[in-house]
Amino acid sequence: NNSEKRNKSREYGLKKIHTWCEMCFWGCGVTALKRNGKVFKLEGQEKCPNNYGKLCAKGNAGVYQLYDPDRLKSPMIRTGERGSGKFKEVSWEEAYNYIAEKVKKISDYYGSKSLALIAHGSGEHAFISLLEALGSHNIAIPAYSQCMGSREIGWWLTYGMGFTGHEYGDGEHSKCMMFLGRNILEALQVGEAKKVIDGLSKGAKLIYVDPRYSKTAAKADYWLQIKPGTDLALLLGMINFIIENKLYNEDFVKKYCYGFDELKKEVKQYTLEWTSRETEIPAKQIAEVCYELAKAAPQCFIHPGRRLTRYGNDTQTVRAIGILNALFGNWGMPGGFYVPVAMKIKTPHMYELEEEHGKHKFERVDGAGEKYKLAPKNLGRENGLFEAILTGKPYPIKGLFVYGTNFFEHYPDNKVAKKIANSLDLLVTCEIYMTETALYSDVILPESTYLERWDPITIQADKYPFIQYREPASVKLFNTKGAWEIASELAKTMNLKIKYKTVQEYNKEFLKTIGISEDVLKRDGCYVFPVKKGMYPQAEGKELKFRTMSRKIELYSKFLDRLGFDPIPKYTKAPNPAPDEFRLLFGRMSYHTHARTQNNRWLLALHNFDVKLWIHPKRAAQLGITDGAKVRIRKGDKVSDELTAYVTDLIHPECIFIPHGFGRFSKFMKYAYEMKGASDAEFCSNGVDPISGAAAFHNGFVKVERV
Amino acid sequence: MSKKEKYVMLYLIDRCIDCKACMVACKAQWSVPEDHFRTHVDEKFDIVDEINRESRMYFLPSQCNHCDDPPCVHVCPTKASHKRDDGIVYIDRGRCIGCKYCIVSCPYDARFFNEELGVAEKCTFCLPRIKEGFEPACVHTCLSRTRIFGDINDPESEVSQVLKEAIKRKDKIWKLREDLGTEPNIYYIKS
Repeated sequence: NNSEKRNKSREYGLKKIHTWCEMCFWGCGVTALKRNGKVFKLEGQEKCPNNYGKLCAKGNAGVYQLYDPDRLKSPMIRTGERGSGKFKEVSWEEAYNYIAEKVKKISDYYGSKSLALIAHGSGEHAFISLLEALGSHNIAIPAYSQCMGSREIGWWLTYGMGFTGHEYGDGEHSKCMMFLGRNILEALQVGEAKKVIDGLSKGAKLIYVDPRYSKTAAKADYWLQIKPGTDLALLLGMINFIIENKLYNEDFVKKYCYGFDELKKEVKQYTLEWTSRETEIPAKQIAEVCYELAKAAPQCFIHPGRRLTRYGNDTQTVRAIGILNALFGNWGMPGGFYVPVAMKIKTPHMYELEEEHGKHKFERVDGAGEKYKLAPKNLGRENGLFEAILTGKPYPIKGLFVYGTNFFEHYPDNKVAKKIANSLDLLVTCEIYMTETALYSDVILPESTYLERWDPITIQADKYPFIQYREPASVKLFNTKGAWEIASELAKTMNLKIKYKTVQEYNKEFLKTIGISEDVLKRDGCYVFPVKKGMYPQAEGKELKFRTMSRKIELYSKFLDRLGFDPIPKYTKAPNPAPDEFRLLFGRMSYHTHARTQNNRWLLALHNFDVKLWIHPKRAAQLGITDGAKVRIRKGDKVSDELTAYVTDLIHPECIFIPHGFGRFSKFMKYAYEMKGASDAEFCSNGVDPISGAAAFHNGFVKVERV
Repeated sequence: MSKKEKYVMLYLIDRCIDCKACMVACKAQWSVPEDHFRTHVDEKFDIVDEINRESRMYFLPSQCNHCDDPPCVHVCPTKASHKRDDGIVYIDRGRCIGCKYCIVSCPYDARFFNEELGVAEKCTFCLPRIKEGFEPACVHTCLSRTRIFGDINDPESEVSQVLKEAIKRKDKIWKLREDLGTEPNIYYIKS
């Protein structure tokens, strides 16, 4: 009967609300399913080019995050020592007034330049607007120095552009794909992993270079178990082999590449034998993969990498990757690299500064654009900012705003991070959990989760450019606010000369500009522009243009030459660990994002609440470590909590591997704390790439011992 | 007269990347309690080349096989566990007395005990979803299209077509513990 049918129908009483996922930074389109006022499931939006209806484990687990009892529930002000965990719950007014008072004190004494910000997430620009209104430009997005800086600069020097958030390898149409450490099927972003699998299921070859057999290696036709630190050697050796054996696209190189003769001369020294010895990869394998790529060209690509904070020569390594790709002529070709199409839209602004603050009259502290000329000012150098906070040079930074990022877990050494926190007069953290950084803060501003808030429509340039819509799927469960709410209210409290729109006003204006009705967005969650071409300019017969000094792809970098760096990458050896030490390598698990998801019990259950340390059997035997034993990492006096030894020859004997995001010390993230494990931030190196100014983490040497 | 439906699942295991999205989608869909899951993905090693000691890691999803000769149905004292016409093995929660005999009897470890409700629980092939024309939650979220679900009695269905192609290609096709005579209905396919 009818009422029975109603009660059993899936659609009955079901509300669908659209947003984009924020469990990682890829931004899959999400439809939240709500019944009886509760969000019970998240599903992918069918039309969204980021994920085409799919969601990963983290995306699905967004439900758990929404209802996580450990979430921050109210603004708080510290009452005890930093890190003591002693806070009092306050009203938003009190929190804002406290911040305003401290900001005024700092600005009056040190100048507003003494205020800084690090931010990551869809509320970034809300806090950037605050700092701009305050008159400071000491703003750093951690993703540059702690992640993709060297990748961006290396590629920009070669092709005249970077990648920003999406890399443009055309996986779904490729015949051969190569990845150096980019664990694309495990450090996964739904849309691009999906496309790589699509390509593989159509018969594409996969070449994967990594000291460790990751899940991407499991799908590879060739797994090159490289000696850590020798990526650049492999690439230079491949470039030489390909030139010597005429496996490159001569027409393309002649037409579009600058500096081929110099390149040919320079790489002659990197013979196949030398390369094999240096990388510990059999010469036969190196030759085979060169032939595979050449056979597939131009429907092939070598992925530029994503996190290139490795050995300190990472910008030059990416230069080599760029050069290698150029030899195959795959730019703007299906199966090679597509070129993203950007819609020429005059987007509105969320805010308007009512006066200019002369922010350009003082120098930044982080060295972006100055000591490190190529580090872009709009992204900043977080490592440089922290160095400035520690040294007080060129001038003191006394106030730090932190939005959606946890520097205790991504900046080397907790002792240093504590020092940074303690040297500030004001540390404000806007977060959803009591992270380690929040624990050391003076004021905590709890943000509503992505499922509870409004954020302005985003636009993404891609193969098929699109926009994404967000509205709250759930009422606010606690006393929290969205980043834009906070920014505008805080600006009002501080009497800043800045005017904000509401998100709804912005969205209305935006949609009017492009002539799309809000109903379309409420129905689908996204809108894909009907672009039919432009993404494969070479295949489409267009003249390729590159924003380099020579207007061509620079195999020989004129800019680097001008700056006094090697214009063609030269191999430099990474430091080696002592025989009783291990190089510490870290990376991702399929079920976690950075240090953000380790309190999510649904995700922890997927790997049985276990944190593994990968170690080679020969080394393990020397230390009396058996598979499954409890072990820990040691560096001098510093010792980690316990991990479970995974004894396997799937990791190079010189190194160990641990997943990032564990070894936490905030007791207020109950499950994350109970997971134990080690924090790679405690034990990694803190090098700096001389060209990009980004960090280098993979030269950290540690000991491993049984617990 | 058209044949009655018979629901089966295929796993194209070359595609599975062990992202475990399926496990969480199912958990959210059915409010699976505590740390339990109704489907799993496990890691396995296969010797690809004995001489060169080359082995390859691959990933095996698993869930209730909705067997044609299900031990869980035979042992159930109250007929709570029953085999439907469309092939799905279903638990009528109203009849389940929580004796756990079915949990012990399943050779695939597909069932678990729901402490809160005091009943046995397992994969239902998302019966309420499929009756409305939706895919099972695990199939819907799988980003690599490892899981294929549908009516094997319909020759035009995706499962029928994909299975036919796999047979033609001489792919390795197997089911779990066929030797036990449970007649499971999940096909594992590997090229």
